[in-house]
Amino acid sequence: MPDTNQVSTDPLRSEVPVTALGEASVDAPKRAQALLRKIEPYLYLLPALLLVGGLLLYSVAHTFAISFTDWDLITPPRFVGLQNYIDAIRDPTFTRSFSNTLIWTGGSLLLPVAGGLLLAVVLERIPGQRVLKTLIYLPAILSTTVVAAIWSYVYTNNGVLNETLRWVGLDALARPWLVFAPTNTLAMIVAASWRALGPSMVLFLVGLQTIPPELIEAAKIDGAGERLLFWRIKLPLLRPITAIVVIMSVIGSFMTFDLVWVMTQGGPGRSSETLAVTMYRQAFIMWRMGYAGAVAVILSTIVIAFSVFYLRATLKRSAL
Amino acid sequence: MIQRLSKGKRSLDRYLVLGLLCVFAFVWVTPLAIVALSSMKTPREQSQSGILALPENAAMILDNISSASELAGIGNGLLSSLIYAFVGSVTAVVAASSAAYSIAMLKIRFPFFWFLIIYSGTIFPFQMYLMPLFGLYQTVGLYDTRVGMLLFYSAIAVPFCIFVFRNYFIGLQGEVIEAASLDGASSFQTYLRIVLPMAKAPALFLFVTQFSWIWNDFLFGQVLAKSDDVRPVMTSLAMLSGTYGKGTIPQQMAGALTASIPTLILFFALQKHFMQGIILNTAGE
Repeated sequence: MPDTNQVSTDPLRSEVPVTALGEASVDAPKRAQALLRKIEPYLYLLPALLLVGGLLLYSVAHTFAISFTDWDLITPPRFVGLQNYIDAIRDPTFTRSFSNTLIWTGGSLLLPVAGGLLLAVVLERIPGQRVLKTLIYLPAILSTTVVAAIWSYVYTNNGVLNETLRWVGLDALARPWLVFAPTNTLAMIVAASWRALGPSMVLFLVGLQTIPPELIEAAKIDGAGERLLFWRIKLPLLRPITAIVVIMSVIGSFMTFDLVWVMTQGGPGRSSETLAVTMYRQAFIMWRMGYAGAVAVILSTIVIAFSVFYLRATLKRSAL
Repeated sequence: MIQRLSKGKRSLDRYLVLGLLCVFAFVWVTPLAIVALSSMKTPREQSQSGILALPENAAMILDNISSASELAGIGNGLLSSLIYAFVGSVTAVVAASSAAYSIAMLKIRFPFFWFLIIYSGTIFPFQMYLMPLFGLYQTVGLYDTRVGMLLFYSAIAVPFCIFVFRNYFIGLQGEVIEAASLDGASSFQTYLRIVLPMAKAPALFLFVTQFSWIWNDFLFGQVLAKSDDVRPVMTSLAMLSGTYGKGTIPQQMAGALTASIPTLILFFALQKHFMQGIILNTAGE
């Protein structure tokens, strides 16, 4: 009791307005602080969101919208519904571009994927593995543009390939490799495989390492030969990694652009165009943005469908 | 007896396979030797001497590089690409690591949704980005500028980086929160002093992979730049090469060699990271 009396008689403490004011001024920063504390975690997201949203996702939405219009970049776009898609499907150059893309897909499954698997299985038991692996992987470090420059020289009339063929007496086989379809596409697939083989081989080697050695030993004791071992044990156990390599190769094939553009620009006579090259030509050479948008959307639909498979395969893998 | 015979046959098979593999690997890298040799020849020498003939004067490579540079701006391209690859990948690593920190360790609503939004940037083919970026860059004055190129390269590298960082941070979670709460550190201090130093390994790996991706890009340089000062090196090299290229073969090969040097150095310095890279790229773990 005496204590409270003392406090109330204290002139500084008894001034009610001061305390009220003090309470209010303590409260406001507190609330601001609480708000800041709530917002702060989102601030860390901001740069990434702005970059990806502002440049990439915005572009995806816009390309989708463009594909329903007729637009040459100069006059304002005009809505035409599905006309660009109909035009594309009826256009023989689009059909050829599509079938070239399918050839790319098949060729890439055969050369870098199947070839990479074969190499991995053979290399696995070889003493000089590391050196050989590095040599075969080496072209994968080069950019596609560099690979295109090198292989243009290989394929040109008096280039490496024709000169070599003449040197060994196979003159009949020498030819202009990049002029006639489908030779030009096949020749470029070989060039692309030079770069793609190493990575797929390394992935299969990683996959082979995950196979428990006891399993292989047990099969050998049971008298399984190399061939049986491969088909019955290694290949089935490699399935998760095979799925990933195959899907990646398909996605990569559908997006083939750099190599073709640098080597032939899709020519001659648009005979070696892939979907990505057709899109680029329509957009930036012919300024038919709507049509190019439709090609981009068709291409994306296929790629995304495969990406969903890919994500499933990787999710399964990390779940294991 | 039979056993010994089959054993001998097996080791013979082995040597045969090894021999074949060596021949294969040798043929496989021959194009690289041809690049090096042709880049040191004069155009005349190149067309008259054998493909694998040694050059008369190896210093010719300097002439070829400088004339290739004059023709297509390879020198400027090297400088531009160095800036793009370095600044672009550092920016992406910083932006992605901070976003992944927020998603994996801080209290935000719908963390997985935010992750998917940013990560979705990896799923679309580049053809979806070309026209709107070209239009946007023209409108806002970023077309054919180094800032514009840098912004794009940073953006394109973010989604994969966030994927790697998020996985890594989720693995760290318990450890970091414990250490931070002991310190009573703010969230920014935790990010700067605890999370980032712990994330050195994935950051270095991402820097290397994104650096080489940006360095190797041709398409976006082709669409978003045009002048010698801004065009990245691969786009310049493409002007020299191919059916429609305007360089002589020694110029093309000298250009190709010069443009490959930085990534080759990175590869041999950090070979382990590269190999890890393709595994991470595909296996996603």
